[in-house]
Amino acid sequence: MSRAKIAALILIPLLIVLASLFLGPRSINPLALDGVEREILLNIRLPRVLVAFLMGAALGASGAVLQGVLRNPLADPYILGISSGASLTAALGIIGGLTFLGAFTVPVLAFIGALATGSIVGVMGWKRGGLWPERLLLAGVGLSFLFSALLMLMMSISTDEGLRRAMLWIFGDLSLSEWKRVPYGLGFVLAGIVLSATRAKALNALILGDEFAYSLGFAPHRERFILFVSVGLMTAASVSLGGMIGFIGLLMPHIMRFFIGSDSRMLIPASALGGGALLCIADLISRSLLPPMELPAGVITAIIGAPYFLYLLRRKDVLSI
Amino acid sequence: MCSASRRNILELDGVDYAYGKRDRFIRGLSFSVGEGDFVGLLGANGSGKSTIMKLASGLLRPSAGSVRLWGRDLAAVGHRDRAKLISYLPQTLDINVPFTVGELVGMGLYPYDIPPAMTVAEALEMTGLTDKADARLTDLSGGERRRTFIAMTLLQGAGLLMLDEPLANLDIKYQIELVRLLRKLRLERNISVVMALHDINMALQFEKVMLVKEGNLIGEGSPENVLSRSMLKQAFDVDVEVRRSGNEGVYISLQDHF
Repeated sequence: MSRAKIAALILIPLLIVLASLFLGPRSINPLALDGVEREILLNIRLPRVLVAFLMGAALGASGAVLQGVLRNPLADPYILGISSGASLTAALGIIGGLTFLGAFTVPVLAFIGALATGSIVGVMGWKRGGLWPERLLLAGVGLSFLFSALLMLMMSISTDEGLRRAMLWIFGDLSLSEWKRVPYGLGFVLAGIVLSATRAKALNALILGDEFAYSLGFAPHRERFILFVSVGLMTAASVSLGGMIGFIGLLMPHIMRFFIGSDSRMLIPASALGGGALLCIADLISRSLLPPMELPAGVITAIIGAPYFLYLLRRKDVLSI
Repeated sequence: MCSASRRNILELDGVDYAYGKRDRFIRGLSFSVGEGDFVGLLGANGSGKSTIMKLASGLLRPSAGSVRLWGRDLAAVGHRDRAKLISYLPQTLDINVPFTVGELVGMGLYPYDIPPAMTVAEALEMTGLTDKADARLTDLSGGERRRTFIAMTLLQGAGLLMLDEPLANLDIKYQIELVRLLRKLRLERNISVVMALHDINMALQFEKVMLVKEGNLIGEGSPENVLSRSMLKQAFDVDVEVRRSGNEGVYISLQDHF
C-alpha cells in the first residue's frame, strides 16, 4: 500500500477528531480559550469525542474481524446477539431504576449482558473441539430474537419515562460520555484491536478455509476462538459505552476494502480508524444540527454513511468478504 | 532401486481412521515417501485418497498408528514448524476470496519470521503468473487459479507437497504444464510430491504409484508394475486393456468399452 494512503488513513481521522473537539453548537478557538471554553473542551467535548472514537473504532475493527471469521460479508458485531443481550440488561437497569454502582450501573450491566451473551453464543457454536462459523452465526441470530422479544416485553410494561430513557440508550446516546468511562473503554477496545491485529495473518488464512489455514501453520479452531474473544471484548465495550450504533460494524470494513484491499493486517486498523472517525463526525452533526436538541448519533452514521457506501458500490468493483 | 536408498521423510505405520462413529474406514495403513519421490495416489472416487492425504498431513488424527515426518511424530511437531516441512493443497479451491494473486501467493510466507530464500516475485515467475500479481482470483482462468495456489505452496518452501487432485477440472494442456512444473521443481529443489489423481494415463507419468481402494493400499510401485489389467479392475471395477507400445510407453485403451 502506498505511503499516501497510509498518511490519509491517519491524517483524515486526526483532522476529524480535532474538528469535533473545536466545532459544535459553540465553536471554540483553541488559541483564545476563556474559562468556560476550557471547561467545555476538557470536561465535556474531549471525553465525548474520545468515547465516540473508541466506540466507532471497536465496531469497525470487530466488523472486519467477524466478516472474516464467519466468512460472511453481511456479518456485523451485532449479528452475534451481543448487543441484544447488552440492551436487555441495560434496559433492565434503566427501567428498574437500578443505581447500585452509581453512574456506572447501566454500562456495567450492559457489559455483563454483552459478555454473558457472547459466552452463550460461544458455547452454542462449540462442537467437536472447536468453534464453527455457521453454528456461531445461527446461535447469535437465535439469541438475538429471544433477547429482542424479552426487551420488547419489558418495554411494553414499563412507564413512559423509563421507556423513553431506555429507547434513547438503545439508539446510541453519547451525551452521557464522561471521563470516568474513558479508561475502561480504552482498555477493552485497545486490547481487542491489538489482540485481533496480532492474529491478522491467521484471519487471512481462515478466510481461505480451515484446510488452508492449517496447511499454512495455524490451528484454525484456536485462532477462531482468539478472534471471537477479541470481537466479544470490543463489542461489549462499545455497547456499554453508549448503546447501539448501526452501520459502522457492517459497512466500514467494506468501505475500507474499496481503498486498501482485503489484507486483514491493514483492514483491521483501517476499519478501526474509519469507524472512529465516522462516529465522531456523526456525533458532531447530531449535536450541532438542531441545538440544544441532540439527534441519535446512530441514525446520523447511517444517513451519511449509507449513501456514500452506495456511491462507492456504483463506482468501484466489489470484492467478496 | 534408487528409491530404496533415499531417506524416508514421511512414514505412516499401522494407521486407523474412522469418520464419526462409523466403522473404521482406514485400517492398518502403512507406507512411506522418500526424499525426492514423485508419487501418484490413484484410486476411484471415494476410495480414500483425500483421507489418506489428510492423515499424512495431520489434518485428520489417526485413531491408531503413527505418522512420522522426517522421523518426528507429526502430532508433536508445532503448527508453524510443520508448515515448513509439509504443505497440503486441498482439492476444492474457494475462488470467492477477496485477495489478489500477489496477496494469496504471499501467504506462503506466513509460517516464517525470517522469509526463506524464495520471494513472491520468484514464485510468480516460476508459475508464469508475473503479470497477474494484481489480478483477482475470479478474473483468472481455471489453470491460472490452480497455479496461484501452487505458487503459494511453493513459496511455503516445504520439502513435501501433498496435492489433492490438483489436475481436476483442468484442460489437458494445463495438466501437462502443471506436472512438468512439479517435475522440474522436484529436480531443482529436491522436494517430494504426492499427488492424488484419478486419471490412469496421468498416473503413468509418475515414478511411483500407490493404488487405493476402500481406504487401503492395494498396490505400490512403478506404474508398469502396479497398473496391470487385474489391479485396475480391482481398483476401478472396469476391465481395461493396458497397452505397451515401444517408445510411447504404456497407455490404457478404453476402446472395447464403447
